[in-house]
Amino acid sequence: MSEALLEVRDVVTAYGKIEALRGVTLSVAKGSITCLLGPNGAGKTTLMLTTAGVLKPRSGSIRLGGEEIAGRTPNSIVARGIALVPENRLVFASMTVRENLLAGAYQRRDRGEVDADVERLFGRFPRLQERQAQEAGTLSGGEQQMLAVARALMSRPKVLLMDEPSLGLAPLVVEEIFRIIGELHKEGATIFLVEQNAHMALRLAHHFYLIEQGKVTFSGNPGSLAEDEVIRRAYLGSANA
Amino acid sequence: MLVDLAQNTLDGLTSGAAYALLALGFTLIFGVLRRMNLSYGPTIMFGAYCATWVSLNYQVGLLLLALITVAGAVLAGGYVERLCFAPHRRGSAIAAMVASFALWMQFEELATILLPRHLYAFPALYDGGPLTFGPLFLRVEALAMLAAAAAVCPMLWWTLYRTRFGLAVRAVISQPVAAELAGISAPRVFFLVFALASAIGGLTGYLIAASHEQVTPMLGMWTTLKGLLAMMLGGLGSLPGAVLGGLALGVIEAHTQWFLGPQMRDLIAYLLLFALLAINPPWMAAWTTTRSAS
Amino acid sequence: MDDYTIGVLTNIALFSFVALSAYLLLLAGEMSFGQQAFFGVGAYCGGMLTTLFGWPLPAAVLAAMAAGAAAQFLVGLPTLRMRGLYFAMATLAAAEMMRILFELLHFQRSIEGDLVGPDGTQGFRSIRWVFEAGVEPAEYLALIVALLALVVAGFGLVERSRLGATLRMIGEDPELAASVGVNVERVKLGVAAVAGALAALGGVLYAHHNTYIEPRNFDIMLGVHSLAYALIGGLGTAVGPLLGVLLDVGALEGSRLFEGYRMTVFGGLVALLLIFRPRGLLDERVVHWLRARFS
Repeated sequence: MSEALLEVRDVVTAYGKIEALRGVTLSVAKGSITCLLGPNGAGKTTLMLTTAGVLKPRSGSIRLGGEEIAGRTPNSIVARGIALVPENRLVFASMTVRENLLAGAYQRRDRGEVDADVERLFGRFPRLQERQAQEAGTLSGGEQQMLAVARALMSRPKVLLMDEPSLGLAPLVVEEIFRIIGELHKEGATIFLVEQNAHMALRLAHHFYLIEQGKVTFSGNPGSLAEDEVIRRAYLGSANA
Repeated sequence: MLVDLAQNTLDGLTSGAAYALLALGFTLIFGVLRRMNLSYGPTIMFGAYCATWVSLNYQVGLLLLALITVAGAVLAGGYVERLCFAPHRRGSAIAAMVASFALWMQFEELATILLPRHLYAFPALYDGGPLTFGPLFLRVEALAMLAAAAAVCPMLWWTLYRTRFGLAVRAVISQPVAAELAGISAPRVFFLVFALASAIGGLTGYLIAASHEQVTPMLGMWTTLKGLLAMMLGGLGSLPGAVLGGLALGVIEAHTQWFLGPQMRDLIAYLLLFALLAINPPWMAAWTTTRSAS
Repeated sequence: MDDYTIGVLTNIALFSFVALSAYLLLLAGEMSFGQQAFFGVGAYCGGMLTTLFGWPLPAAVLAAMAAGAAAQFLVGLPTLRMRGLYFAMATLAAAEMMRILFELLHFQRSIEGDLVGPDGTQGFRSIRWVFEAGVEPAEYLALIVALLALVVAGFGLVERSRLGATLRMIGEDPELAASVGVNVERVKLGVAAVAGALAALGGVLYAHHNTYIEPRNFDIMLGVHSLAYALIGGLGTAVGPLLGVLLDVGALEGSRLFEGYRMTVFGGLVALLLIFRPRGLLDERVVHWLRARFS
């Protein structure tokens, strides 16, 4: 079993008096696809935003490759190698596709390599290449999702976080997204994925966690006996949690 | 009659150029911060007052005076950003605006402490008479203002669309959260945009002072009102809109003043803004649909 | 109490009316840069009625309040759908228009040989009804304070009632309020009328205290100040705006310490205060705490 690249320990994040994360502990192994499942409002997005530095945890520790990153600014966390593909994609609508990608590489100084990466990503996402001079706001939902993933990849992250990549997308597009996630994994990427679509996610993940009401309630590998139970709780929430 | 019309339009474009530059400064700050900086005009006045003080006590060249105005405005602008906008970045918009108003009071008092009289002379750019183009007159200061606007606009465009910094600014304007996720430091962008807007404001303030050949503490209020008016007329948050709004305001003012006098001039300008806000035509609604202004 | 102190206290009380009028609108989520215009409407209307038409002050006060309410209602109609900055700029534009109208207002009559009445930018002098009725400054102050107390008591009643809760709901989230059945537009127009009346009440009393008014008295500075008073004092209670006025006018007049640097010191303190207390000194949390302790 490979070592944990991202370790989250007892993280508490609150909005005013409301604790959205009440002590979350999990880890993401290097080179794996780890999935976080859970019903709406359980805290999945809050955890993603906390790990990316957009939200500050009230307590707890987040370590990337052994280095503490909890509470740091988002741009210093990007510098350390985490990139988040946010829920709802959040592309820069008024900027072109190419500019969106360049924004993702903002912190990089190696201009030549950045351009090479842009070409590589266009190779992986041919539809983005077709539309590279178009404003990102004119792209379809699926294309925007590709763009958001590509933008995150431009920073060459050690860990790629993805918050509900299949949200609001047609089934064929969802297939494509997950195919790309699989490809990235084969190339050695470490991916931490939040998904509502538990079926798809469990087909891909090596390890998954179930989060309910701000705490991790289950941790396991797909194929274990509790899978049906897990899926049920991911969609509906547990009656006694 | 036709000559009057042409002259008024020319004068209107000149004052409009000043309004356009002021509106650009306001728009840059608003676009990035989504807040109104009530201290923008006062920081410009502060810069102009610094230059005035220097010009009264030392013999200095015009270029140095311009630089001092810009430097004073940028310094003051940085102070405002740190005290009024950085602390409230994720918090209350009203608190930031009222804080910027409190600093406005500071700048006005500091200006009167520095130079206690109500009015001070400011060196003009050129001691001779106005230039003539056929039947039309154009003062050198007016030409300088037009030139400044004509220079600033493409430079600003180039900065925003051809530099890495500009990419960061546009990203922050478009989607602040995604910009941070892309590794852009939003606080740094805010501060630098503030400085840029203050620099543009300082240059404009210098040219306004040179054009009027005087400075008064009312300069702060005046530039604020004109800048806000022009910005809103052109559609809040749009940089091209700021320029067009400024030019339009200048030309409309020039013509209304000619036919109806200075009070009606101001009345019509405000009425126009009010009516536009009430009718809410498409170019003004551009920002209400995407991001709210509060 | 000497005349100077009475004068300062009177000013504090008078500006409290405009501050409360801005506060009321803030509760409903509307940031108005224009309350000074309705202060002016009250001043000019009331002043003209007593000076030019011989009306007694009480009647003039009522008429002035009605005028202020009507004026703000009329401004409120086209601005109903505007939010945030748009609303603020619209109120600013409307207020400046009214100020210019005051500059254009020339309406003088010859009364007992003297020419009285508003004279554009030259102002409107000799608003002497209070003086001629033999009311002492201290008595006038007492009257103003009594009215202010009534208004604050009124606010207190409203804040505890369903109307108060509705107001704050509209202020926080108008869509949510509408979705639970609140007629947001009707409430907003009602609030506008009351705010206009309040500002006008302050205005007519101000005109008769100063005996002289001019359009410059009703410029943007007053408007932004009113907003600032409401915010600094605190948005948790109607006493908040009063506190804001007290701190500003009182500290400014009362302190000889920072002679010449008052605004610099005060402005800096306000900016610092807002960093730690963005909703003012008496914000909602403090007020809840105080209510819990003293009940």
